[in-house]
Amino acid sequence: MSEDAVASQNAVPAVRTVNLWKIYPQDPEPVEAIRGVNLQIDSGEFAAMAGPSGSGKTTLLNLLGGLTRPSRGEVWIGGVEIGALADKKLARIRLEEIGFVFQAFNLLPVLSAMENAEFPLLLQGESVSVRRAKVRALFDEIGLQGLESRRPGKLSGGQQQRVAVARAVIADPALVLADEPTANLDSATGAALLDVMERLNQTRGTTFLFSTHDPRVMERARRLIRLVDGAIESDQRR
Amino acid sequence: MNDRSLWWRIAWRNLWRNSRRTIITAAALAFGFLSCVVMIGIWYGVIDEMIETGTNLVSGQVQIHAKDYLPERSMHATLGGQGGIEVGTYLDHLETEPYVVAAAPRVYAGGLVSSGEHTVAGIFLGVEPEREARVTRLLASLVEGRLPVPGRRELIMGDEMARTLDVRPGSEIVVVAPAADGSMGNDLYRLTGVLHSGLPTLDGAYVVLPILDLRQLLAMEEGRVHEVALRVSDPWVAPAVAMGAGLMPQGPNGPPIQVRAWTDFRAELAEYARLAFAVNGIVVAIVFGMAIFGVANTLLMSTFERRREFALVRALGTQPRSVAWTVVYESLILGVIALAAGTLITAPVMYWLHEYPIDLSRFTEGFTMAGSAMRPVLRAEYTLDGPVVSAIGLLITSLLAALYPAYRVSRIPPADVLAD
Ligand SMILES: Nc1ncnc2c1ncn2[C@@H]1O[C@H](COP(=O)(O)OP(=O)(O)OP(=O)(O)O)[C@@H](O)[C@H]1O
Ligand SMILES: [Mg+2]
Repeated sequence: MSEDAVASQNAVPAVRTVNLWKIYPQDPEPVEAIRGVNLQIDSGEFAAMAGPSGSGKTTLLNLLGGLTRPSRGEVWIGGVEIGALADKKLARIRLEEIGFVFQAFNLLPVLSAMENAEFPLLLQGESVSVRRAKVRALFDEIGLQGLESRRPGKLSGGQQQRVAVARAVIADPALVLADEPTANLDSATGAALLDVMERLNQTRGTTFLFSTHDPRVMERARRLIRLVDGAIESDQRR
Repeated sequence: MNDRSLWWRIAWRNLWRNSRRTIITAAALAFGFLSCVVMIGIWYGVIDEMIETGTNLVSGQVQIHAKDYLPERSMHATLGGQGGIEVGTYLDHLETEPYVVAAAPRVYAGGLVSSGEHTVAGIFLGVEPEREARVTRLLASLVEGRLPVPGRRELIMGDEMARTLDVRPGSEIVVVAPAADGSMGNDLYRLTGVLHSGLPTLDGAYVVLPILDLRQLLAMEEGRVHEVALRVSDPWVAPAVAMGAGLMPQGPNGPPIQVRAWTDFRAELAEYARLAFAVNGIVVAIVFGMAIFGVANTLLMSTFERRREFALVRALGTQPRSVAWTVVYESLILGVIALAAGTLITAPVMYWLHEYPIDLSRFTEGFTMAGSAMRPVLRAEYTLDGPVVSAIGLLITSLLAALYPAYRVSRIPPADVLAD
């Protein structure tokens, strides 16, 4: 048995898939976007997913986060198979177990940075004082202090992505999924965002899985999953 | 979960992202409110005018007769006289009753009126001029000459009748009527004035004279009357007043009487008024029925532009129900803004149309409606129902308009965050 296999046997899985398929009904032929993926991400991991355009990165992240339903196979989050859950229950799982960072359009333009970041806590019914305290502490930690009342339109791209990261981790989800979070940022800003994610991974133990095209971003991950044509081509830990 | 205030806040802020669109939509609703309130106000004005002229011209709003007077209208079925009612005291008593503004006694008779070659049948109405003037506008519709003075054998008649008889104030008139003692009363009178009410039966057939003179003509005993007509403070309290025990002369053991409100003896008028109330509902339904589609369209556009944001909040774990509600909230806030604006523009318009009614005399000289002679003005009447019904209509509109857009929004798939 390899060292890796031992490690993942002892670890708690944040998410696990079993023979996962996603087929989009398309003309003239259905698109097999994900083809039989078996993947486990453990608690505390800082993992990257790479692959050429169209290889299925976004599709896989959406399946893991319960944004789309599998055509076949299973997705397990915290002992629950989410593929067959009703919409309402699935929304509940997303709220409590998953944090999302998208490539763009992450924030609600009518809410301030603070209101955007506290959004999941609000949905969970957390009190104002707890919400405000958590957001302030987190904003201080990731360099957003003083920007609490700004609307997204008055924030830079890098600041917006940080607010999105803050929102993704604020309620301590089992897993944060980030789909090309640095794609719209210049390399310095992108690197700084990665610093933030890495530090949160270390200080709070938040599990991250992010997709990227950028080799410099891949280098930062402690695990790199390569996807080609909807299937895992390689999976390396460092 | 206590996130309701969040969705209200989001709804409010979203409304002002495209403030021009919001203002135009609210203005449309406000204008709908204005139209409804004004139309209902004018309707009520017409109805009031109809009831007012229908009851205040001659009939009064409540009528009291001896128990056996109707339907034959026998001249012997009187109040007063040996029946035990002292009419003067009774009238004074009636005027102390709640809602009763004034009471007037009447004596009726049928007979013939002639002058020279001409003879017509007429209805003789004996009145106490001073009391009558407080109950009806009958004597106020004198258009020529003066009122008759009691005891001098003077009378007035409708202008149509005067024309038929070819008489004018000052002319001598022969009146003939079957008297109470079985004889034929006849006498020579003088015409002192002419009435014009606009009501054909009145103008063509009524002869009005002091009650004393008519009793004399009919050989009727002093103190007898056929009818007491009441004016009440609001036509719509008349049925309640008519039911009240307070109208009984000398208490419940007194002589039997029959009391009718205008809603009984002018049932068609009451029917018409009720029909007109139903029309209000139809007016509101039509105005806001059209508005629903406009508001729904605006909401569909504005939510479609934001579908990525709805997908985002769904992705973050918002329940479909919550995103649907925020659309409803948005529409309700729009409705409340429209209502506030509508109230602001409606108040002065209503004031204007109430104080300075639209004058239709260029188009018509007046007309009769459901047997009432209407003056040629359109006056908006203040009512509570107008604004209340219209406000409810407006808010229901904003609620209904939101239903389909809200449903659509709740169906936006969360994976559409990045869709374009
Ligand atoms: N909603 C959809 N309907 C039909 N086909 C889809 C849909 N979403 C993705 N696909 C197809 O599935 C395949 C995988 O797409 P996906 O977006 O997951 O790739 P990706 O690795 O994220 O690519 P990129 O690097 O360009 O973001 C592609 O062939 C794509 O065209
Ligand atoms: Mg992608």
